[in-house]
Amino acid sequence: MIGTVWKPEEEILGALQNAKNIFVVGCGGCAKVARSGGQLEVDKMVKLLESNGKNIIAAGVPERTCYIQFVRTFFDPKMSELKECDAVLVLGCGGAVQVVRQATEEYGLVKHVYSGLNSVGHMDTIVPGEYFLEQCSECGDCVLNLTGAICPVTKCSKGLLNGPCGGSKDGKCEVDPERDCAWVLIYERLKALGQLENVSTYWEPKDYSKAARPRKLVF
Amino acid sequence: MKLCDLFEKGKFVVTGEAAPPKGTNTAKMLSEAAPLKDMVDAVNITDNQSAVVKMGSLAASRCLKDNGIEPVYQLTCRDRNRLAIQSDLLSAAALGIENVLCLTGDHVSLGDHPHAKAVYDLDSVQLLKIASGLNHGKDSSGNELDGSTDFCLGAVVSPCTEPVEMQVIKLEKKIEAGACFIQTQAVYDTRLLEDFMNRLARRNITVPVMVGIVFIKSASMANYMNKNVAGIEVPETIIKEFENTPGDGLKAKSLEITIGLVNAYKDMCQGIHFMPLGWTDMVPEVLKSTGLRP
Repeated sequence: MIGTVWKPEEEILGALQNAKNIFVVGCGGCAKVARSGGQLEVDKMVKLLESNGKNIIAAGVPERTCYIQFVRTFFDPKMSELKECDAVLVLGCGGAVQVVRQATEEYGLVKHVYSGLNSVGHMDTIVPGEYFLEQCSECGDCVLNLTGAICPVTKCSKGLLNGPCGGSKDGKCEVDPERDCAWVLIYERLKALGQLENVSTYWEPKDYSKAARPRKLVF
Repeated sequence: MKLCDLFEKGKFVVTGEAAPPKGTNTAKMLSEAAPLKDMVDAVNITDNQSAVVKMGSLAASRCLKDNGIEPVYQLTCRDRNRLAIQSDLLSAAALGIENVLCLTGDHVSLGDHPHAKAVYDLDSVQLLKIASGLNHGKDSSGNELDGSTDFCLGAVVSPCTEPVEMQVIKLEKKIEAGACFIQTQAVYDTRLLEDFMNRLARRNITVPVMVGIVFIKSASMANYMNKNVAGIEVPETIIKEFENTPGDGLKAKSLEITIGLVNAYKDMCQGIHFMPLGWTDMVPEVLKSTGLRP
């Protein structure tokens, strides 16, 4: 899922300073799981905005706000509110914000679309409801088959490919003593699997053209 | 003078270290390096060490060379992508730099610009491989150069960092990639160094190894390094010795400890790399007392 957290309230209110009538849109996908854009958080945002003098013209949670068809389904019965609002505030990832903007443009509307969240990475659910961790950078050139299914590109703070740097101390990363050194984890796992030879040979510099943005999938 | 030529002649190589200034005034760097002139074979110039912005190591290396001291130009992967790194290496060759020490580089979060974007387009093994390529007249995309570099390339290793086997695996890759000398993180434990050197011997690693020694200035500094500096383990016995030394005797104690370490190490390795942290004036005395220099 895409991890998201609330922007500081003052930043949200700053973005909305010239807007009186607000349409709040959450997301029933990742942002719901991340507790930043589900129904509970949309309700909380409505209260916050109302207590700051805003008029909430509509509020709701599409099934997935990064899917254009779900956003259309959500907006179709609320067209008058959408036309009437001064701004749409989206509690979803940066992609969701842009899909909402796309929807408003498809309706021929010129609307301010603002984001209430910061997107903080591709998150895996390690402990349901409690602990989420970024483990994949979507680099376009997966190396997990060689590293015992532990990603050095993401879990090493320097993204090193040929082994640990000199900054590893007691198996922890120099950036954060709470964080395991990815290369110590990789070493231990490959040793247990009898595959240390995977990291004993030279790895070429990564092909970052595969991560050149924006990327797309076309069918 | 390339360090590899000295090793080939069988010389026990000694290097020191100096940090470029935080600013444009090179006076302090040069005065710190001055006691090393004609005493050591070369002086490492650090590259934005600890991710703190300083004068560039290339300019400072050239500055040292102009003052009659052979530099070892340190180059990290933290701040430059592969274009910038190759460009800097070509520039270094043009400025007469002969020795390059290739490092990963401390993470930006540790320095004075923690909000900067860390680059690490390459790692230290890839940097060595690419620098070797420049020595052979090719850039990293295989394009021909109009004029090759001719660097003596060095690499680092941390003998006290567990798992040591992974350190050695990476070291082997560095040597395969073109490192012709090795500089270690500071070591204070003779037994540990012996184990490490035996480990290299078992794997038929014969590239010259220079053992690093940071001059310990006090018990609190040793404790700080143990807690905060990766790969450094100062034994409790050394810390106790500093604890039992009055303030005005600390430098003499540091000298005594360093001489003891060098005497213990000198038959196990091919060189010593001193990291004096300002106490460069101690280096000549260490060298004379250990018989490494007349």
